[in-house]
Amino acid sequence: MNRQSSSIEARILIAGFARGSALVLDDSLSFWGGFDPSNGEIIDVHHPQYQQLVGGRILCISESRGSAGTPGGIAETLRNGSGPAAFILGERDVNISVGTLVANRLYDLEVPVIEVSLSVMKQISSGDQLIIDRRGVMLFDAE
Amino acid sequence: MQLNALDQDRLDGKLGKAMQFAMETIVAAAHIDQADALIDISFAHIDACFYNGRAHLDFVNYMLEHGATLAVPSWTNNGLVSLNDLSVRDPLASREMHEARELMRAYVRLGCNPVWTCAPYQLPDRPGLGAHIVGSESNAVSFYNSVIGARTNKYGDYLDVCAAITGRVPFSKLHRDEARAAELLYDVSAIPKQIRANDLFYHLLGHIIGRRSAHLVPAIVGLAADCNEDDLKAISAAGSSSGSVPLFHAIGITPEAATLEISFQGRQSLRCIELTVNDLCQARNELGQNTDQALAGIALGTPHFSYTEFEHLVELLAGRSIRPELVFYLTTSRHVLQQVELQGWAESLQQAGIRIITDTCTYFSPVVCGLQGKIMTNSAKWAYYAPGMLPVDPLIGSLQECVESAVSGEVVLDQWVVE
Repeated sequence: MNRQSSSIEARILIAGFARGSALVLDDSLSFWGGFDPSNGEIIDVHHPQYQQLVGGRILCISESRGSAGTPGGIAETLRNGSGPAAFILGERDVNISVGTLVANRLYDLEVPVIEVSLSVMKQISSGDQLIIDRRGVMLFDAE
Repeated sequence: MQLNALDQDRLDGKLGKAMQFAMETIVAAAHIDQADALIDISFAHIDACFYNGRAHLDFVNYMLEHGATLAVPSWTNNGLVSLNDLSVRDPLASREMHEARELMRAYVRLGCNPVWTCAPYQLPDRPGLGAHIVGSESNAVSFYNSVIGARTNKYGDYLDVCAAITGRVPFSKLHRDEARAAELLYDVSAIPKQIRANDLFYHLLGHIIGRRSAHLVPAIVGLAADCNEDDLKAISAAGSSSGSVPLFHAIGITPEAATLEISFQGRQSLRCIELTVNDLCQARNELGQNTDQALAGIALGTPHFSYTEFEHLVELLAGRSIRPELVFYLTTSRHVLQQVELQGWAESLQQAGIRIITDTCTYFSPVVCGLQGKIMTNSAKWAYYAPGMLPVDPLIGSLQECVESAVSGEVVLDQWVVE
């Protein structure tokens, strides 16, 4: 299968349109304590993507970890413009989804959250150009 | 999912915009969780009062401006600052600290009971066995589920408030009987009795269980029948720091685990792990090494110190004073502090050199005054989190070891698990 032309139906957790470059996280992450919402930087020293910035990227992550503070970290990074353009999750993660929903609502944003299978997640590499449409279809962007 | 008429009215905005927003969030969470129904809750412990950026304030202000009220008794978790003692983290020192105080006040305006504690289960009128509630702070979620037998998932910020406003949550995961069955067994009977009687044992056990249980519900066999709520609090807090343990069972002790068969709901254990003293030594080393560095201070009360822990501290200190070159912080709730003041203990501890703080905790940034360098704590949770956020080098010890170290000015450890 030519990956560049494939489109994948994902499960919509929060609907929206986004286009951008993928950033794949190799481990779960707590968005409280492991992430700086003021600038969108991963600050968990044990994390494989330590010091990477998530701003504008389509963030691919299995799930969030730990603290009840994750939704707040997500909402704050989206509020101040340092957050991802979209989330692609490997699990149905309520914390990431609720943080995104609240930010979308309060700040009139359209950041989607979708869930894909592990096999789809494995096809995505950091730097891939992706499109997520409002019906929850994910495309590898040929542009 | 089928909504009842009242939920539909809430969702349609017939009960105001705040209710609509809250209900949309609950329905979205139910969709994500693949729940097919919503249920009533009777209580909520709110974590969203803990400042984590401007968005937190925008959220509660939206709710207040659009007429939100709370459907159930809702108690506040710790805040980032102490409203009782502004010198702990100065609200005038930065915009963030100022907003942190504004946020706490906003939740009081919303109608929360301002208990400001991560150990709300130490206060009177707590929920009972089988009650559906909303817990948020990870140690409290674990304690409510495990020790009290109330039922809660770990509700993150905003969802906790939306549940308190609507009085509803998705009927999913730990609200359901089948998700509460034990799946994995830890046997601690091979560990010598005198070690199992030490308060540090429970912190180390919690740390191990958090590390090894993945997403499974653990059960523990071999705990002393007289282990108390402070011990079980230690397991709850440590297990929720090194891992995610929103529910555990202690056979013969916790309310859903009268027997092994009951806790496993008749199923077989996937695995039985026999723990040894070596496992405890390893856990202790993971939570801080005793280097040559001079001791700088002590931090107790994560989660908040209970009345009985104060009682032990007073006994162990036996009228002695803390070395003046050390800082000694102890965090607790306003409620427990009041009880302790009635006994005259707060005053004597303060005179001995212990600083008692309410409303907040010491393991997160910004650092409270003087808390840097080598810090001893009796809390696995403190030892796990603090080094990531503060300029500290933690060392874990029993309450007695912490007290003896504080009095002598240098680290004093018992012989067991020192290796």
